[in-house]
Amino acid sequence: MTTLPVRSPIAASSGAKPRRELSDRAIVNLFIWPTLILLIAWNVFPLFYSLYLAFTDYSAIANRPPTWVGFGNFVDILTDRQAWKYFATTGRYALVTVGMQLILGFGLALLVREKFRGSGVITTLILVPMMISPVVVGLFWKLMYNPTFGYFNYLLGFSDPRFGPDMLAGRFAGRPVPNLALWAVALVDIWMWSPFVMLLALSGLKAIPDYLYEAAAIDRASSWFQFWRITLPQVAPLLLIAVLFRTIEAFKAFDLVMGMTGGGPGDQTELIAVNLYRQAFQGQWRTGRASALAYIILVIIIAVSNLYIRYLNRMRGENA
Amino acid sequence: MTASFYEKGPARPITESTRVDKVSPRARWLGKVRALLVLVFAFIGLIPIFVMGITAFKTRAEVVSVPPKVIFSPTLEGFVFLLTERAVASPARIEQLRAEAQVGELNLFERLALASGQEITGPSDYVRRLINSLIIAGISTVFSVVLGLFAAYAFSRFEVKGKDDLLFFILSTRMLPAVVVTIPLFLMYRQLALHDTHLGMILLYTVFNLSLSVWLLKGFIDEIPREYEDAALVDGYTRMQAFFKVVLPQAMTGIAATTVFCLIFAWNEYAFALMLTSDKARTAPPSIATMLGRGGIEWSAIAAGSLGFLIPVVIVAFALRNYLLRGVTFGAIRQ
Amino acid sequence: MATIELKQVAKRFGQNWAVKPMDLTVQDGEFLCLLGPSGCGKTTTLRMISGLEAVTEGSIWLNGRNVTWEHPSKRDIAFVFQFYALYPHLSVWENIAFPLQAEGEKKENIHKRVAEVVEILRIGHLLRQRPGRLSGGDQQRVALARALVRRPAAFLMDEPLGALDAELRESMRAEIKQLHIHQHATTVYVTHDQVEAMAMSDRIVVMSAAEVQQIGTPAQVYYDPTNLFVARFIGSPGMNLVDGRLEGDRIRLPGTENVIPIPPAYRPGLQALGSAEVIVGFRPEAAMLSSDGGLVQGEVYAVDMHGAYKLLHVSLGNGAGNTIVHIRADRLAPYAIGSPVRFHLNMDMVRLFDPKTEKAIPRLSEGATVMSVSDLAREVGR
Repeated sequence: MTTLPVRSPIAASSGAKPRRELSDRAIVNLFIWPTLILLIAWNVFPLFYSLYLAFTDYSAIANRPPTWVGFGNFVDILTDRQAWKYFATTGRYALVTVGMQLILGFGLALLVREKFRGSGVITTLILVPMMISPVVVGLFWKLMYNPTFGYFNYLLGFSDPRFGPDMLAGRFAGRPVPNLALWAVALVDIWMWSPFVMLLALSGLKAIPDYLYEAAAIDRASSWFQFWRITLPQVAPLLLIAVLFRTIEAFKAFDLVMGMTGGGPGDQTELIAVNLYRQAFQGQWRTGRASALAYIILVIIIAVSNLYIRYLNRMRGENA
Repeated sequence: MTASFYEKGPARPITESTRVDKVSPRARWLGKVRALLVLVFAFIGLIPIFVMGITAFKTRAEVVSVPPKVIFSPTLEGFVFLLTERAVASPARIEQLRAEAQVGELNLFERLALASGQEITGPSDYVRRLINSLIIAGISTVFSVVLGLFAAYAFSRFEVKGKDDLLFFILSTRMLPAVVVTIPLFLMYRQLALHDTHLGMILLYTVFNLSLSVWLLKGFIDEIPREYEDAALVDGYTRMQAFFKVVLPQAMTGIAATTVFCLIFAWNEYAFALMLTSDKARTAPPSIATMLGRGGIEWSAIAAGSLGFLIPVVIVAFALRNYLLRGVTFGAIRQ
Repeated sequence: MATIELKQVAKRFGQNWAVKPMDLTVQDGEFLCLLGPSGCGKTTTLRMISGLEAVTEGSIWLNGRNVTWEHPSKRDIAFVFQFYALYPHLSVWENIAFPLQAEGEKKENIHKRVAEVVEILRIGHLLRQRPGRLSGGDQQRVALARALVRRPAAFLMDEPLGALDAELRESMRAEIKQLHIHQHATTVYVTHDQVEAMAMSDRIVVMSAAEVQQIGTPAQVYYDPTNLFVARFIGSPGMNLVDGRLEGDRIRLPGTENVIPIPPAYRPGLQALGSAEVIVGFRPEAAMLSSDGGLVQGEVYAVDMHGAYKLLHVSLGNGAGNTIVHIRADRLAPYAIGSPVRFHLNMDMVRLFDPKTEKAIPRLSEGATVMSVSDLAREVGR
């Protein structure tokens, strides 16, 4: 600060510029374009490229140029019962994980909302799972779920693997249980991401001004009445944002499943993103069809986001 | 107890600001129940992490013991398995190594390997991948933060045509499922010979973190009052000088927080790395899953590797706890 | 309706007193103001009455019932907040209906009672809107409606007009006063604005530095302040306070020839004082400028034009020890700065204080000036 060049504001604005100065316009361009170019090259271009590929028959490992097939890939996917099954699996997974995360996360937020001794440290500790690499989380939950020496069965009291569940194999006492592996993965997703909902809900709760509760106390509202008439409407927008983030993530869910089951057993945990990976990078490398599938997922994500955002805006409009 | 409260009041005088009902015995009791519930939830939630922590220090036999052991003598065997390449030593060689150990010529890892009859032949592939992770995450983070800082400043301080749309576009790139972008990127990288290269991954992660960096930093810069810059401009600074000498020092906390978030995300990233690298530039997350499978799953090694992902995260969680909310919501929500 | 009684009520934050032990009884139907500068403990006192703040010591009685440790909702009081505290996500109608809904009142009753208060406060056209879109005055009306609809035993108001601009404040003041006259509900009203307190209250509690300074009618606190703080705080400008020295049956003021007689009512009080030093206090309107030689002489130091009158700042004496007093003068008369002036004092309106204790010296009560409340408010408001 001591090397501040002493120049009067009048001299500075008199047009006789003593040194080369960039105009604001130039600065904006200089500052923004590198970022935009990178984003365009790494996101927009690939998007268009894969849109083209979605209409072709192409395999990245075949020595053959793409051949145009029109809507063939889309028709193929939308008439494929397997594909519908994977979408259904993903939908169920999204519903259960997001629902449970909402309940647990909001519940936790309500519990840690008022400070007590050590609440700061505990809140931060609760947040740790969501920051670990999902594939690592998947891996050590695989260890947790191990039917012979994993802690999951042990803590639930199943010491003999013959009579206990083998979560990731989808079996209980040797007999297959439908969807057990899917719920096993969902449980880990819930474990990992409930803290995320808690974090958002907590910030929503903290933003509710105290005086509303004071006014409610004066107005003789019971805790129950206060919860439904003040707390819930006030945090609803943030809960909705949390649900939006998590729903999108459920359609992107990949790392966790890859770390734990790789889609198995059979195709029980074959979420749509996992299936997409498999089609694109394994087996026959059906690049064209995978691109079409990717676009279908993208459209779903955009549709869901729009739905949420519209609802959110309506809620905000009412609160204004 | 409650009845006497309404007549005599609380046992201790109330010298803080609080509502009457918050000091009633019932409220105090409920508060304790709440704290206890939180503790129970936190405890249950942290069991997997605790398990991972202790597994990393177990021997191979202890990991698979039934029932699982909680009390055991810790060993670094898992880390030896994770970080080294080993070969079974012949009995004669073991004798020789034991003699060397006696005179203190073997380091800790070599002695641990010897205990299970093995000899260390070199560092494992995982070490290479860790180094890859460090290089790629580190350099890409610097790029994202620097580029993001410039863009964020421009978005925060200037009229930019279609600003909201541009910002939304930047955010939306992060919402794309990795797999959607990866297919064309894979082809593109193959064409440009960027597949499985450090440069390719650095550029990819730079872009991957850019949206986060722009949004987070814009939030931080928005909070710095413009008056400081205006004063600097009036004092004869150029825009650039004002940016470097006035804005930058005040944005330091935000930059630090953003850097750490970018680092964590790049360090944890799995999907892109799995699909766009195979060996030379492969990072740790995809390899920790695949490369440890030889001869049965080395759980203690996996746990040891996981610990390498966990510890930085815990430190970051505590160091940045006031910024966590921004970090995970791209700065869209602040406290 | 209700009486409110505070017995040795005190609030401490850590080691600091927010309110030192105080006694107070609010009569049924009374309009009582807690008046004082910010941080004097008036809002804390109000919040303790409501139960939004727990007391450290003492007890609070409502209608003879000890409610010290009762939940705010069990006290049958309504609270009007400074910044309205309306529920932002509810419509105006829902805001007003909130306390009734919270009690589980029947639907038709809710509609009827909301309609009643809406009528009184003339906010029928706002019912469907959300509070965020309303003006400050309308928000305050809604807040009042929400308090009124309950028909509580007592109203507590925490600077309800503090966030409004001057003009609106005046009309809302009249509105609240009108409401009180109609409802005749016990009201405790917190304000830092002495004009407001003077205009509205039956009695005023002047507070400063966590302590009650004086409890009295507006006329009492204006004309008979119990100590120097009240004398300075009430009135704008406050009471003129001048160092005086007893000389026989006269008091010497600053300036060479300025001597006034001791008001007869003070003779016994001064004998008990045992010191020659006093502080002489008089309101600006107690001084009458006269061209034919008043008792006190000074020099015009500054002139403020107030529209209806001029306020002269007159310096008594000269040099370092000079004292400035405020005197009311005709709005048309010219006063040059530096010119000498003389004035009489209405000796009935002269008050004496002990400089050591800062308390008023006791005075025989005959001859005390009594003015009507409305006259007084006009005086103060000027």
